[in-house]
Amino acid sequence: MSNIWYYVFTLVFFLFDYFILAMGLNIQYGETGILNFAYIGFVAVGSYVTGALALPSSVGTGQHYILGLGLPFPVNLLLGGLASCGLAVVVALISLRRLRTDYLAMVLISLSLVLYDICNNFVPLFNGADGLYNVPEPFAGVLKLTTNSFIPFFAAVTGVIAALLWWVMSRITRSPQGRTFRAIRDDEVVAAALGKDVFRNQLKSMLIGSFYAGVGGGLIIQFSGSFNPTAWLPGETFVVFAVLIVGGVGNNVGMLVGSLVVETLLIHLPAFLPAIPGHPGLIEYFDSVLIGILLMAMLWFRPQGIVPERVRRALSLGAPANLVAGRGEAPGGAPARPVPVEIATADAQGEK
Amino acid sequence: MQLFWLSVGFGLVTASVLAISAVGLSLQFGITNYINFAYGDFMALGAFITYVLNNEVLHWNIWVALVAGSLAIGVLAVILNRLILSPFARRFSKSFYVLIVTFGLSLVLLNIEYSIWGADVRFFQMPIDRALHIGPLLLTKYQLIVMAIAIVLMLGVHAMLKTTRLGKSMRAMSDNTTLAMTSGIDTKRITTITWFLSGTLAGLAGAVLGITEGNLTPASGELFLFVIFAAVIVGGVGSIYGAMAGAVLIGLATEISAAFINPAYKLDTAFVILILTLLVRPAGLFARPGKA
Repeated sequence: MSNIWYYVFTLVFFLFDYFILAMGLNIQYGETGILNFAYIGFVAVGSYVTGALALPSSVGTGQHYILGLGLPFPVNLLLGGLASCGLAVVVALISLRRLRTDYLAMVLISLSLVLYDICNNFVPLFNGADGLYNVPEPFAGVLKLTTNSFIPFFAAVTGVIAALLWWVMSRITRSPQGRTFRAIRDDEVVAAALGKDVFRNQLKSMLIGSFYAGVGGGLIIQFSGSFNPTAWLPGETFVVFAVLIVGGVGNNVGMLVGSLVVETLLIHLPAFLPAIPGHPGLIEYFDSVLIGILLMAMLWFRPQGIVPERVRRALSLGAPANLVAGRGEAPGGAPARPVPVEIATADAQGEK
Repeated sequence: MQLFWLSVGFGLVTASVLAISAVGLSLQFGITNYINFAYGDFMALGAFITYVLNNEVLHWNIWVALVAGSLAIGVLAVILNRLILSPFARRFSKSFYVLIVTFGLSLVLLNIEYSIWGADVRFFQMPIDRALHIGPLLLTKYQLIVMAIAIVLMLGVHAMLKTTRLGKSMRAMSDNTTLAMTSGIDTKRITTITWFLSGTLAGLAGAVLGITEGNLTPASGELFLFVIFAAVIVGGVGSIYGAMAGAVLIGLATEISAAFINPAYKLDTAFVILILTLLVRPAGLFARPGKA
C-alpha cells in the first residue's frame, strides 16, 4: 500500500476519534453546561488503562506499569472507559458540588496538570515520561494483519464504534434526560425549582462524557500502539473545545464537521507538511496560533458553530408553530433567528 | 534542620513571586469577574522582554529591563482587553465565552513566543555572589531584592486600595459593578487601569520568576499559573489579602515539601492543599460573600 493511503487512513481515524471525544465533551459542556477543562485528563486515563490492560505483565519488558493483564480488545476498551468514569466520580464529588464556573475551571485545569505531573514523574504507574509502548494491535493475530493493513482496518473499527456511540448519544439527547441536562445548562436554579436534582444530573452527564473520553483515548493507544505524556498537555483540552465550538455546540452532527475542520484539516494535515529548514516546529506553532484565532473569530461571528443546535419543539404544548421574533441565543450565543415561543425558555438566553 | 531553613528561604522567595502574580490576577478578577487564563503567557512574555533587553539587545541593567518589560505587558494587557476581551464580555452574558477566549488567547500568545524564541531553555546571566546569612536563613542578594520588591508592592497595593480614590473605586466595582456605575464611577476607565496594573504585575512576576529560577522557556509562565491558581483559591478568589496569604502558604509548602519529599511533586503539594481547602472551606480562607 502506498504512503498516501497510510496518511489518509490516519486522518480518517483521527476524524472518527475526535468525533467521539467531542461528543463526550458536548454532553458535559454543550448539553449540561459543565466547563470541563480537565477533559484531556479523562482521555489520558482511558488511554493508559486500555493500554495497560492490553499489555502482558510488565515483568521483563523494560517498561513499568500496573495491571498488565493481556485482555483482548473490546474488553480493555470498555474498562478504560469505566476507569475514566471512576475519575469523574471523584472529581464530581470534590469539586462539582462546591464551585461555580470560574472556580471549577481553575480547579479542573489544575487537576489536568497534576494528573500529567503524576503520570510523568511516577514511573511505576504508567512508565513515566516514556509512556506505554508496544501495545498489542487488536485482532492483528487473528486476522493476520500487517502493519499496513492494520491502519485502514482499525480506522474502520473506530468508524463503527463512533457510529454506535453517536446513535446512543442521540438517543440520550432526545430523551427526557437530555431535556433535563439542557434545562440545567440554561438555568440551574430554575431546574432545581422544578424538582430536578442538579448535582445528580451533572454527575450523570460527567459519567457519560467521561466514558466517551475514555473510549476515545483507548482507541488512540490501540491505533498508535503507544501513548506518553507529551500527547496530553492541558492545552489539548482546548483542541477538543475548538472541535466543539467550530462544529456547533449542542449538535452531534456538528461534532463530526468540527472534527473534520479542526482535527483533520488544521491539526493533522499540516503535520505532513515538510518542516521549514532551520526552524523546527515552526509550522506547528503557526498552526496553533491559527487555531486560537479561528476559535475567537468563530465565537464572535458565528457562535452557534457551522451546524447550529436544532430548535427543539415541545409538541405537547400544542401551541401553533408561529414564530415569535425573540432575540434568542443558541447555546453558542447566536444572534438569533426567530425562535418558536415554547422553546424560548429552554434554548435561548438573551444577550446582555 | 539546616535543610529546613534553607527550604524556608526558598519558600519565602517563591512566596514573593507568587504574591506579586496572585495579586495581579486577583485585581483583574475582582473587577471583570472572569479568570484570565492567558495570565501565565503574559508572565512569560514579560520575562522574555526583560531577558532580551538585558541580554540580547541594548544590554540594559537587569532592573531597568525588568521595569520596561513589565510596563510593556501592562500596555499589551490594556490593548488586548480593549480589542478582544471586553467586547466578548459585553456581548455574552455567560462567563464561559470569555473564559474560552482567554484560553484561546493563551494558545496564541504561547505559540507566538515559541515562534520567536523557540523551545530552548534560556538562562538569565546573573553574576554569582555569595549567599548572606540572615538569622537562620541563607539568601542571595537577588533573592533579597525580589523579596523586597514583593513587600514594597504589597504595601503599595494595600495603600492604593485603602486610601486613594482609584482604590476605593476599584473596591466598589469589585463589590457591585452596576451600583458603582450608578454612583458615578467611570467603570470603563477603572477597568482599563486595572488591566494595566494586572498586566504590569504579570510581566514583573514573570521576570522575577525568571531571575529567581535562573531559566526561562515560553511554557514556564503557564506551568507557574497553576501554582498561582492554588494560591488564589486557597486565599479566597477575588480577595487581595487572601491572595497574599495564599501565596505565602503555598510558597512555603511547595518548597519545604520539595526539600523533604521530592522536588518533582512540588506542584502536587500545591494541589493537595487546594483540594483540602476546598473540602474544609470551599470559598477559601478569606472568603468574600457572594463570590463563590
